[in-house]
Amino acid sequence: MYWTGLSPDEARQFLANKDKSKRDKRISLKEAVQKYVKDGDNLGIAGFVDARQPIAIVHEIIRQGRKDLTLSYQSAGIAAEYLCGAMCLDDNKNSIKRMELAYLAHEAFGISPLLRYLTENSLIEMEDWSNYNMSARFKAGAMGLPFIPCRSPMGSDMLQTNRAIIQDCPFTNRPIMLLPASHPNVALVHVQEADIYGNCRIQGPLFTCPEISMASAHTIVTCDRLIEHDDMVRFPNRVSIPYFSVDAVIEVPYGAYPGNSNGLYYYDEKHIPEFRDACEKFRKGERAPLQEYFDNYIFGVENTTEFINKIPLNQIQHVEKIEPGIRLESAHTVLGS
Amino acid sequence: MPKYSEDFTPQEMIVVAGSRTLIDNKVVFAGTGLPMVAITLAQLTHGPGIVPVFEAGAVGPELSRGLPLSVGGSRTTYKANYLLGLNSAFELTQRGFCDFGFIGGAEIDPYGNLNSTMLGSYPDGYNKPKVRLPGSGGASDMACSCERTIIIMVHEPRRFSEKIDYITSPGYLDGSPNARWRAGMVGQGPYRVITTKAIMGFDDETKRMKLIATLPGETVESVQEATGFELIIPDDVYPFEPPTVEEIRLIREVIDPLGYFVKKKIKG
Repeated sequence: MYWTGLSPDEARQFLANKDKSKRDKRISLKEAVQKYVKDGDNLGIAGFVDARQPIAIVHEIIRQGRKDLTLSYQSAGIAAEYLCGAMCLDDNKNSIKRMELAYLAHEAFGISPLLRYLTENSLIEMEDWSNYNMSARFKAGAMGLPFIPCRSPMGSDMLQTNRAIIQDCPFTNRPIMLLPASHPNVALVHVQEADIYGNCRIQGPLFTCPEISMASAHTIVTCDRLIEHDDMVRFPNRVSIPYFSVDAVIEVPYGAYPGNSNGLYYYDEKHIPEFRDACEKFRKGERAPLQEYFDNYIFGVENTTEFINKIPLNQIQHVEKIEPGIRLESAHTVLGS
Repeated sequence: MPKYSEDFTPQEMIVVAGSRTLIDNKVVFAGTGLPMVAITLAQLTHGPGIVPVFEAGAVGPELSRGLPLSVGGSRTTYKANYLLGLNSAFELTQRGFCDFGFIGGAEIDPYGNLNSTMLGSYPDGYNKPKVRLPGSGGASDMACSCERTIIIMVHEPRRFSEKIDYITSPGYLDGSPNARWRAGMVGQGPYRVITTKAIMGFDDETKRMKLIATLPGETVESVQEATGFELIIPDDVYPFEPPTVEEIRLIREVIDPLGYFVKKKIKG
């Protein structure tokens, strides 16, 4: 048996020694990535497919360059595709060693060209799980348990190459599947609202964001809006991630763009295909469009604001206009800078 | 007597067939793509009481804000009756709250086992697949733990093989008696396979795929020819009722006007 990221005992020890004080955790995204994301780390990628993925954080990691990463997630889309793209363009600067995943593609927008490229050329190590498996592995980590029992996907070929174990249940004597906990080194999470201490309020599906954060040693949170702490705690049971699970908070409007941030902006149905098409061309042997995409939107800018400035305003207006807003307005005051 | 459409694509036909297979007032755990379109059509026709569940967390939403591009997108959450995350959604399937799982796949075998992980040799060639597919997502969880599974896919010989390279989502495994129970699964397994050519089910004894109905323009022979293994052909195979003008109008004008999932042309 081996652990990627932290073992359950290491994770417990790490948290025992951690500063859990309620303090202002605002720093720049650049500093947060410098401080918390190291070569060789296991990164827990939050969000689901192309929704609320930590795009701003991933772009910053790519600008700084990190190697030998393990990516852990249930279903990812553009966040993982960007990291794959960075590796494809220059693996001396960015590289992925391993993925523990259930799915990498873009649903209606198509398959992941760079997952195909990297796996079909044997450039990364894979460990396939189901969506429930990865979610339950993070949940076990968040619960402080070394494993969690689960009923699926028993009978699947996944079990031949992943670390799941089938045993007879000691109470029913029926076969049950046991999954090892996942404790990433760093959780990368984007939410709609956070306060300066790191409390997060997620709108729409929670995906596995709370579990990933609470299972990980560190959590970097970007939020579309920073809000007043008093507004956050007015509805305590709407706090999705508690502050002491978070190490750094950065207000990054459009931090999940071109993906969907529930209640704020919909998927950009132009930009996602623009990026995916460049990836597909790379897979088929044409490197230039992907290099141009990265030079233009990631390496050629300092931050997400400059990235968004390159997108036509009417395109941004469109993704906001078509997204139904369902915020708790009474609990929402935007924090002044 | 309904007016039948005379102008429809195979992809539209499959959506209609999927929709008609769904039963009103049942909880349907929806995979991405065609299942979402078929559920929406069923809700607009015979099944207003169908309760869709999306693995990213939404339970019982109204699908009236446009077709979701993803099972995690905002359009799955509008007026949802319950909304947490992936763990809570899959826990519902284990507990028995989900009557049907509705999934797609790239490859299927006679026992309803599905592959959506890789083509190539496995496990030896796991780290060098011939073609890497997106991976299980939640399909394998639905296939195991929803009470029954409905499978929807394009009907081509290469997608229907006696032996598939990788079992992502288990059907009846090797077809032996109680194979699913012995493996530890709680759900009862595949109920229907809906394709661009036919509706199929499974033989009670052998658990092998059997033909139930042929879609318009198809015959028993043409379906068998497009299937890479021998189908069981019972005496009571019947021709499936063509799509109505209204069903096709709903797909084109209301459900998927931009053709995201119901593309105008498909191979095969």
